[in-house]
Amino acid sequence: MDILVIIFCKILSFFTNIFGGGTNLPGSVALKARPHILKKLAAGYRIIAVTGTNGKTTTSAMLASILRTTGRHVVSNESGANMKSGITSKLISAYPIFKKTDGDFAVLECDEAYLKYVTDDINPEIIAVTNIFRDQLDRYGEVSKTLKMIEEGCAKTDSVLVLNGDDPLLANLLPERKRYFYGFRVNPDVSKSEVQNAEGKFCTVCGSPYSYNFTTFNHLGDYFCPVCGFQKPALALGVSAQPEFSPDETKVSFDGLDITVPQPGAYNVYNALCAAAAAGAAGVCPDDIKTGIEAQECKFGRQETVEIDGRQLRLILVKNPAGCDEAINSVLADTGEVEIGFLLNDNYADGTDVSWIYDVGFEKLARLDYQNVAIGGTRCYDAAIRLSVAGLNSNKFIICEDFDSLLYAIKTNLRGRIYLFCTYTAMISLRKFLHKKGYIKKLWY
Amino acid sequence: MELTICHLYPELLNMYGDIGNVYILKHRAAQRGISIKVVNHTVGSAFSSQDTDVVLFGGGQDFEMSVVAEDIKNNMLAPLKSYIEDGGVTLAICGGYQMLGKNYITPEGNVIDGLGILPHYTEGGEKRLIGNFIFDYNGYDVIGFENHAGRTYIGDLKPLGKIKKGYGNNGEDGTEGLHYKNTYCTYSHGPFLSKNPLIADELIMKALEKRYGKVSLSPLDDEYEQSARRQLLKRFA
Repeated sequence: MDILVIIFCKILSFFTNIFGGGTNLPGSVALKARPHILKKLAAGYRIIAVTGTNGKTTTSAMLASILRTTGRHVVSNESGANMKSGITSKLISAYPIFKKTDGDFAVLECDEAYLKYVTDDINPEIIAVTNIFRDQLDRYGEVSKTLKMIEEGCAKTDSVLVLNGDDPLLANLLPERKRYFYGFRVNPDVSKSEVQNAEGKFCTVCGSPYSYNFTTFNHLGDYFCPVCGFQKPALALGVSAQPEFSPDETKVSFDGLDITVPQPGAYNVYNALCAAAAAGAAGVCPDDIKTGIEAQECKFGRQETVEIDGRQLRLILVKNPAGCDEAINSVLADTGEVEIGFLLNDNYADGTDVSWIYDVGFEKLARLDYQNVAIGGTRCYDAAIRLSVAGLNSNKFIICEDFDSLLYAIKTNLRGRIYLFCTYTAMISLRKFLHKKGYIKKLWY
Repeated sequence: MELTICHLYPELLNMYGDIGNVYILKHRAAQRGISIKVVNHTVGSAFSSQDTDVVLFGGGQDFEMSVVAEDIKNNMLAPLKSYIEDGGVTLAICGGYQMLGKNYITPEGNVIDGLGILPHYTEGGEKRLIGNFIFDYNGYDVIGFENHAGRTYIGDLKPLGKIKKGYGNNGEDGTEGLHYKNTYCTYSHGPFLSKNPLIADELIMKALEKRYGKVSLSPLDDEYEQSARRQLLKRFA
């Protein structure tokens, strides 16, 4: 019976690939017909799940690249379809009817809220958690609830946990498990965010405020509780020397292993660390880890660059204050001709509440020497008000109510490197538009 | 002219961009040549009602709210109460609004004392009331976003407005927020003032009047604010 559903949904996914209809549809149909079909689909794979607020997609892509370097076949849901239906869809289209999957890897990016449903049927070898920040609170409530959902998801498994050791919120996650922590051993000295967010500022043991030897961003860093002595756990893998940051890449040393992370910013160092630690836990050797990370390309709007009439359009996915602040830092690190833009949508997948834009330090962008600012999305005027309050010159704003006018603005009013901040659905529909216009060749990865 | 905004516990109560209201007030005042000083009130510091023109009291997560409640009771309950009674301009949002009241009753029946400055009370519900909402404030459509588990009951007090779309205080009686003297309480979290410039200006005006006597505010170019309102009223109304 399972196999018939799988074959039917494979055909369905063939048609949705051609005619559109969403990456989640075949999975939703299969789950309706056979609620526990994931058990069957996942059998034979060595599974690594990646969850957390920020960096899931990049971490998963880096991890998949590392595992491919080892010569193994790897299945992964890299395009951000990370709810149970998306994961099911991916495993259906990858399902080999005629051969065995023994020893193949499945890297499954998993939405924080859906992990516990996925782990009903899948018992990953490893679960990696990138970090916990406030994200789309209209969906998840408070960060403590996000943590609880992840804990519930992990508790259903006997997975080894790979955790961000600089995130105090993760330190007490299932302490009886086999756990590997990763983080910074030295201060990366990135310019600090001016907006200090409050998640996880208090000791999870005694409730006193933490002190920090250094912070990397927001509540991540080398923390300790001055009252009860609780401190950052011992790291299994750490950044052991001052990284060299540049607009395109970062040179780092992971406990003596020199790696060039092909994306800018401290947050991508965390993503590389998480992928390296998870790969290490799966038994991959350091050389393959280095090669895999360095071979990984920018994926799906995570600092993807699109060439348009001699201009470089950089698509940056933003979905919450912490990620957006780091993206702003990477824009500021660019010393060339720079323009900025912001596409703000408020669909379900973006978060219907756009209040978070006031927790982002857009004020820093005011000192850039930009010619124009392109603004669009379903909440374009909210974005315009925010940027004008942040001190950007509203005479230079170009409100683009559709992508044609955005493209026109890019070709006529903007120059050099254009950093376009996009929320999730804005990114998806813009990429489709650019694909149709021939600027992006590959729509999905 | 100068105004002082006292932002209560910005480090702890910063859930949903409530700080946006400080930015908006500053921005709108600056365009009229009024300078705004922002005092970040933190745990253990004293509150001077004489030196304060606007109090902003936002919302936070449960643990942070309990730290705040404790600190206010220890350090500033009496001066905050007399500030509000004397008509000091106050904007209280979500958790801040709830805490000004008598108490909060959890779904399990535990009673958590509020500050008791105003007589409203709140009952915790199972389902969170979430979404864009619109309420009528003296004929002006106020557009906001609400996200709260608490159901607040204000008895005979005057609500800030009447719900046109969404839930408001409790999803039952059609009221939203509370308006007492110059204290504005609302469930519209985050940058509430960004799309409601009329209320932002009213707060500035009330604060100026209290300190300097009768004043008038020059109108601003609110092109984006008006466009945002038009767009959202069309979508949500």
